[in-house]
Parts: sequence; structure tokens; C-alpha cells
Amino acid sequence: MVPAGALLGLSAILFAIGLVGFLGRRNIIIMLVSLEIMLNAVNVNFVAFGYHLHEDHGQILALFVIAVAAAEAAIGLGLVIALARNRPDVRIEHLTELKW
Amino acid sequence: METLAGQAAFYYLATVSIASAGLAVTRANPIHSMLWVLALFLHVAGIFVLVGAQFLAAVQVIVYAGAILVFYLFFVMLLDLPSETAGRRFGAHWPLATAAGAAFALLLVRWHQPGLAIPTPAATTDAAPPPHVAAVGTMLFTEFALPFEVVSLVLLVAIVGAVVVARRKTAS
Repeated sequence: MVPAGALLGLSAILFAIGLVGFLGRRNIIIMLVSLEIMLNAVNVNFVAFGYHLHEDHGQILALFVIAVAAAEAAIGLGLVIALARNRPDVRIEHLTELKW
Repeated sequence: METLAGQAAFYYLATVSIASAGLAVTRANPIHSMLWVLALFLHVAGIFVLVGAQFLAAVQVIVYAGAILVFYLFFVMLLDLPSETAGRRFGAHWPLATAAGAAFALLLVRWHQPGLAIPTPAATTDAAPPPHVAAVGTMLFTEFALPFEVVSLVLLVAIVGAVVVARRKTAS
């Protein structure tokens, strides 16, 4: 019904958009959300291959990716809370203590 | 006829997904970004339904759109929105970021090759296959039982870690 190549193309575009958001934006929460967009693109890729090869394993892997994304959101936003307690904003250009 | 409707649905869902993702990473207001990401997640769930991953679509809506996104929205509320929206959105290195993204988008040139054509329907068997969700659940609790348990451990560690990281340091 749907060519698998079209699904893979959609996945590539979504991953590219997420990558641009992660590398380019300066708000740390938008960066984390871009990470979620990239993980979603990877899920589309897994499901596309599962669909193409008539396998359900792709969906299982995508489920695990969603679980890890939830863990990543909890840790990442915990770090944002710890940052926001020490400084007025969470903009990435103000986090220069580790810069050489 | 059904094929045509399926293709139309797929191209609608794909177009809206790409547009929502693009808007999500370019809007100045983080709340607007989150709402566009919500649209993206719901449309990706629609794509999962279209390719026969119904359980994954439900998980996508419940966990991603329902839990993770609400979590992000809650954190956006903690920020100082006026000062966030006033500053510049992209860093000075945004051309490099765009180049990296374009490199990934270049993978598109291969999307139409014959090996990735419309999959042939699975060979019809005499016995009716089990319902789809039952098949996924059975696999999750037999073949993938150990990874499943490990993921629960990962989530537990993440919860404890988030509490430890975000806790206010008290003078003991």
C-alpha cells in the first residue's frame, strides 16, 4: 500500500529537521524536544523495515526506544531544573564553564 | 481503491508531519513549539496505524503525546517566557547545523529504488494469524522478556536519577 522507501524518506527528513533543531537552537528545552523528534524518526525507520520485511521485531525495538526516550526526558529535564535553580535562564550560550 | 485511499492518507500524514516538525524547531515561543510537536506525534501515530503497527500507535499517543509531551510543557512553564522569546532563536553556527541536516536529507535520493517498492502481501496461510496486538504481546513476553525487564530497570534508575539531580541541596 505504502512504499517502504517513502517511509524511509519521511524518516530521513524528520531526522534532519530534528538534527537542525538540536544543533542550531539555543533554548535547551527546544534542543531536548528536537532529540525527541529524532527518536521519532528512528521509530518510523524501525516500523518501516518491519513492515517491509513482514516482521514484528521492528515494533518491539520501537517500543524500547520509546521507553528509553521517557528515561531521557526525565533525566534531561531534571538537569534543566538543576540549571534553572542556579541561573535565570536556560540558554545554551550561557553555559560556558566547561568551554576551553 | 483501498490502496489509493491508503496512499492519500499516507501522503497527507507525511506532509503534515514534516510541516509540524519544521514549525516546531523554528517557532520562537516554546509553547507553540510543544503544540507543533504534539501535532507531529499524533500524525506519526497515524502513520503507524497505516502500516499495521496498531499497538505502537496507541503507545505513541499515550506515552509520547500523553506523558512525555505534558512533562515538557510543564517544564516550559517554569521558564521566563518573555526573555526566552525575545532573544535570538538560533546560534551563530546555524549554517553548520543546517548543513548537517541537509546531509541527512540527502539520503532521500535513494528512496525510490526498486528494493524498497510496495511490499508483497504475506503468503496466505491456512491457519488465521493471531490478532496483531496479541502477536506483539506474546513476542514481548517470550522472546524479548529479558530486554523488557532491563527496560523496567532503566526506567527505575532514570526516576531515581532525576530525583537526585533535581533535588535541592539541604545543609545536613
